[in-house]
Amino acid sequence: MDGHVVRGARPIPAEAGRRSAEVILRIDGLRKSYRGVEVLRGIDLRVHAGEVASLLGPNGAGKSTIVSIVAGLRRADAGSITVAGVDALARSRAARRMIGLAPQELAVCPVLDVAGNLRLFGELAGLRGRALRARIGEVAAGLGLDGLLNRQVGRLSGGQKRRVHTAMALMHRPRLLLLDEVTAGSDVESRACLVDLVRKLAAEGAAVLYSTHYLPEVEMLGASVVLLEAGAVLARGTVPELVAEHAVATVEFGFVDPPPVAIPAGATQRRGNVLRVATADPAGTIVAMVRSLGDDAGRLRSVEIVQANLETVYLALTGRRYSPEGGGAARNATGPAGATGRRP
Amino acid sequence: MRWPGAAVARHEFRVIATMPGLAIFGIVLPIVLVSMIKSLLTGTVGSGGAGGAGGVQIAVPGIAVAFAAFGAGRLGFAFFRDQAWGTWDRLRASPASTLEIVVGKLLPWAALSLVQMLGLILVAAALFGFRVRGSWPALVILLLGTATCLTAFGALLTAFSRTSQQLNVVNGVCGVALAALGGALVPTSALPHWVAVVAPATPTYWALQGLHRVVLQRGGLADAAVPILALLAFTAGFAVLAAYRFRFEESKVYWG
Repeated sequence: MDGHVVRGARPIPAEAGRRSAEVILRIDGLRKSYRGVEVLRGIDLRVHAGEVASLLGPNGAGKSTIVSIVAGLRRADAGSITVAGVDALARSRAARRMIGLAPQELAVCPVLDVAGNLRLFGELAGLRGRALRARIGEVAAGLGLDGLLNRQVGRLSGGQKRRVHTAMALMHRPRLLLLDEVTAGSDVESRACLVDLVRKLAAEGAAVLYSTHYLPEVEMLGASVVLLEAGAVLARGTVPELVAEHAVATVEFGFVDPPPVAIPAGATQRRGNVLRVATADPAGTIVAMVRSLGDDAGRLRSVEIVQANLETVYLALTGRRYSPEGGGAARNATGPAGATGRRP
Repeated sequence: MRWPGAAVARHEFRVIATMPGLAIFGIVLPIVLVSMIKSLLTGTVGSGGAGGAGGVQIAVPGIAVAFAAFGAGRLGFAFFRDQAWGTWDRLRASPASTLEIVVGKLLPWAALSLVQMLGLILVAAALFGFRVRGSWPALVILLLGTATCLTAFGALLTAFSRTSQQLNVVNGVCGVALAALGGALVPTSALPHWVAVVAPATPTYWALQGLHRVVLQRGGLADAAVPILALLAFTAGFAVLAAYRFRFEESKVYWG
């Protein structure tokens, strides 16, 4: 089944190149409206065992709504969802047994210690006694929390709380993990720890639906991408597939004042004092541009090559730079530390 | 597979255990109040009318039921608190059903209410010579019925409240009204006639009817049967109304 096509003539596949035999999450024609505003417009998606599928898009794209509906927290207006073959809309409880959710907002019990927080979800999964203690130790160790088990969660750092928040979703060994911006607000150590853990869980066979704002994180995870825009799937594939299909490198020429009018023909875009040229041959483009500028070459202040990456995929598909806030053209908004995938 | 509601209940107990003052003050404060009003109530039962124990025989059941009524809505804060912590959605996404989550959260508060009433009775027996002249099993069943009924009433208040301030106000008003109209603060015989007319419409009235039969009149299970049935009927009514009004997806605002 084809996804809802926002832009471009080609249909969007519901699944990405990375394959395992078993489809864990299957979404078909998912629709949702709030007060007459359509926030999901026919989402189709497959996530296989062992796959990390990254839901990527600006605020309002529909990432959290998809996660909430799959987790049984909101009702769908139309469409179907199955988790490991179980109809998640008709048999929500059976499906929830296979789902681990770490919601977007921090959700921990601050007055209990780390072990107390993990215990609840272990007990809900039917674990008791020695098995429960063993699982708590195992999950805590996986997230570097083993030395903090007796610490009250309210007294932990923000990054440590984030790790507890994620650990709570893992207690019952879910087949499908729904991680909604779990690294938001994390320190570098916690972010690295969480990313490593997600990779490990996928390697062990879990399917992971990983919602994020941060483009570099998707590449770090080796995740397939579900690029969302205004409640529809804009593109679906692995990062190399999307880059090969949609993106080319760009060279940005910065001038001390507006760029000269007479420039070589090609795919160019002007923004203030910057001239942007999309090209498959950045080095050749730079040489040709400098030659053609003649005396105007002295007005050139900087030259940057923006390698083809997810950001340029987004740029190619939407005509604007990626911004987590949505709709904008923020220059350095693609990563927690302003990382943009640029190369000087 | 173990019952998931038990896991929720154990968790709620652990959270309550982080607030020991809640349970302790729930026993200490009523004891202080009993010590203050027992002599006032001696006239109500007549000097030595209750085997020489005087007003304490009236004050202890009354204050026990009154504090259970005052505290009916506090369980609601467990729901508001979970919403504020974000753990409510986690529970909803867990394998537990709606009913299991709600019952699991209510059970510890009903148990706390029962423990506080029993604690008050035991401490009053030691300090003031309070005596249960009838059946202890009947007394325990009556207290259990009272705790369950007022917990269901608290669930109803919670279901109708969208903010914690609403719950706080409604709980305060309803708690005092139930305690006063049911005769828990002052016996209905000492109140205006209209109070005696409306009192049977409150669960606190039936709780006290049963307790008085057991404590003052050497009553047994048979004597307490009608009040116990009345409490069960109130419990069912509150539970049905709460279930009708409760919105699992509704956002509750902890403050605002």
